[in-house]
Amino acid sequence: MHTTSWLSVGPSLDECIKCNICTSACPVGAVTDLFPGPKYAGPQAQRFRENGQPASPDQSVDYCSGCRVCNEVCPTGVKIAELNARARAQMAAECGIPLRNRLLGRNELLGKIGSLAPSLANFGLHNAASRVLAEKVMGIARNAPLPRWSASGTFGDWMQRTTGRRLQSTKKVVYFHGCATMHYEPFIGQAAVAVLEHNGYEVIVPPQNCCGLPLLSNGEFKAARSYHEGNVRKLSDGVRAGYDIVGTSTSCTLTLKEEAPELLDMHGEDAEGLKMAVWDIFEWLRERYESGELRTDFRRMDIVLPYHAPCQYRAHRVGRPALEILRLIPGMDVPESHARCCGIAGTYGYKVEKYQIAMDVGAELFDFVREEARSHAAGVRMTACDSETCRWQLEHGTGLPSRHPIEVLAAAYGLYDLHERRLIER
Amino acid sequence: MLDLLVIGAGLSGMIAASAAARAGLNVRVIAKGLGALHWGAGTIDVLGYLPGEANGVQRPLQKLEPLASNWPDHPYAFLGSGAVAKALADFQELTVEIGLPYAGDENDDNMLLPSPVGATRPVFLAPAAQRAGDLRRSEPMLVVGFDGLRDFYPHLIAENLCKQGHAARALSLPLDLITSRRDYNTVHLAQALDSSEVRPRLADEIGKRVRSGERVGLPAILGLNDHAVAFAGLANRIGLPLFEIPTLPPSVPGIRLFNALRRHLDQLGVRVEIGMEAIAFDSTSTFNLQSLTSVQTATSARPLRHRARVFLLATGGILGGGIATDHTGKSWETIFDLPLTIPNDRAQWFRPLALDPAGHPVFRGGVCIDGRMQPLGDDGQPIYDNLWAAGGILTGADAIRERSREGIDIATGRAAAQGIIAYLQT
Repeated sequence: MHTTSWLSVGPSLDECIKCNICTSACPVGAVTDLFPGPKYAGPQAQRFRENGQPASPDQSVDYCSGCRVCNEVCPTGVKIAELNARARAQMAAECGIPLRNRLLGRNELLGKIGSLAPSLANFGLHNAASRVLAEKVMGIARNAPLPRWSASGTFGDWMQRTTGRRLQSTKKVVYFHGCATMHYEPFIGQAAVAVLEHNGYEVIVPPQNCCGLPLLSNGEFKAARSYHEGNVRKLSDGVRAGYDIVGTSTSCTLTLKEEAPELLDMHGEDAEGLKMAVWDIFEWLRERYESGELRTDFRRMDIVLPYHAPCQYRAHRVGRPALEILRLIPGMDVPESHARCCGIAGTYGYKVEKYQIAMDVGAELFDFVREEARSHAAGVRMTACDSETCRWQLEHGTGLPSRHPIEVLAAAYGLYDLHERRLIER
Repeated sequence: MLDLLVIGAGLSGMIAASAAARAGLNVRVIAKGLGALHWGAGTIDVLGYLPGEANGVQRPLQKLEPLASNWPDHPYAFLGSGAVAKALADFQELTVEIGLPYAGDENDDNMLLPSPVGATRPVFLAPAAQRAGDLRRSEPMLVVGFDGLRDFYPHLIAENLCKQGHAARALSLPLDLITSRRDYNTVHLAQALDSSEVRPRLADEIGKRVRSGERVGLPAILGLNDHAVAFAGLANRIGLPLFEIPTLPPSVPGIRLFNALRRHLDQLGVRVEIGMEAIAFDSTSTFNLQSLTSVQTATSARPLRHRARVFLLATGGILGGGIATDHTGKSWETIFDLPLTIPNDRAQWFRPLALDPAGHPVFRGGVCIDGRMQPLGDDGQPIYDNLWAAGGILTGADAIRERSREGIDIATGRAAAQGIIAYLQT
């Protein structure tokens, strides 16, 4: 007895009954004619890509943002987003990959280079002239919400600097920080470490690579494979020791668990071991809560905090653990967004030809935040969202600051200043 | 812990979830994807045809008892006509409450509404927007379609209606009255008609072509999120009776009902989790009593356990995914492997004539239940003391042939909820 979930990507397309539910739910197809919708670009076009036929019927699949809403709503279990990702890789192999996409895929490298001289890098990137230039020469949208390199050192620097102060414990957990926490937002990692230590866990941060998602979504499967192989190798000690690996970037954890093994056909023992050891941090905290281990010594926080579960979070199919935990905090009102996607979809909304599509997709979410702000007398001063690029898009679209739920939890424990985004030293 | 986990987000599952949550139970609904309601016409069909009889049923509630005496394992036979009538009355009340009022004929006769090929559909309850299409009324019809709208052909509909003695003529309008998009489906068009700027253009164009005394039929695209306003606005501006004819999937009237029920459940604190596929379960056994403890759903890595006191199986039949079949003639219930009444020999699935008035045995197959709506094992006893079943998975009905799909869903969903509430009180 089997269910279609266990089918590999290819055969799942035979489950398509052409009901068009995916096309009706697709946030991209809803705002542009350039993407004909998941059913057409996925299972239908796939028939022309199989059996050694050289090219995709057209290149519209490049406009799939990879948000995976189609997978979420498909009643028969077709892995549409994965079909599209593979089709894009095939297109990339046939037609070549533009320099811009090669760069955007290399988050780890960009992070490292910028971190050498962050102030210079920020100045170099974040001025009007270079943004116009980047748009004209490279096709990176001038208004897209690009991150800033951390001027106070990387997350790795901070871990090294504070080694002596870190908690030692028999209970251990491995932390996967991802590139954004490492180079742009080290305070997310600091908040995660503080929360984990507060709950009695020693946090181990082994060397690690980019999860490879930006490469996968730009069709560079070969380079993504070398990253994933690196992660399987570098994290194997923790896996063998039986430690859980928790991550704060929900798309990184999704990639380690499912996207990389599935798209790259890496189902060996070590890759499978890594997959089963990885948790989104709130998925993991919810398990602790349900077994009565999570500390709930929260301070009261009288705020309205609209929360958006990113599409990549929903793709984990674990429900809304961050929402469940945040709602334990006394005084906190956490209205949930039902928007399908913020639009940015990793590097999608950075591309000049896709920037406006991303903003139009995100309108649903921005409107939700505005509506919440209108309907609460105290107003809305910030939002919460688990994924970094989604937060940057949310800030860009609403003008309000956005926080990772782990920052909010750390603040509720009294460990973190939510406005200054830094740990409260004791 | 949950009191009730409902598996399946079709009509029966959502009706049961609503009734249980209103009785104070802690309920969650999980589903593999969207479905069922998105495929249907958004009407409530109770009984259109008795098995083996060519003439349609005029007054369905009066025919439930003759049906039960000939088909003792029909779901209606377990419930009795009083319970079915009460369930339908409750449903009607619920639709008023959730802002999408359904109503029927004042004598409880079936209405006869046009299908998208101009055939007649015997319908017991319909949303306001479909009722003026009743073919028992005599006003001639102007059936309006749009050039290039797939799967809706006004000339075909009008021709077929005329052949059956109903006065009808067709009109096809340019689609740019509604949208400038080159690619769209019915859901996109409905969203476009949510806009009050678009509607007057369409109404005025129809107003120029319609004759006095006519009623106007349109594809079911008259607004999605703002449907009540869109429908009233168009009807007022045209100044003649207006009705929607449902389209092939995705069906906007079905999606409206799904969305309204989902919002209602949301307000009751019931989470409806889409994209969660049940793949396994856990049970315990004390003496001869077997109980379910949890149902597991697929995630990006390890399965997620949903622990609950009671479980409701509302996964539907072969199309809904509750029953799977293979080419050898094997069929199985997809979660608990409950015994089914589908013949094991594929040659016994169908009668020789495709349109045999007696129908085909495979479509009557499903799970056997007792009077409390609990699935039975081969020994005629409930297999699990805390498992219930409702909707399309039940044996005994050929719902498409009988036109009884929604009546069975609503009545068995309510009955299952009542059984569950009583069970949890003892």
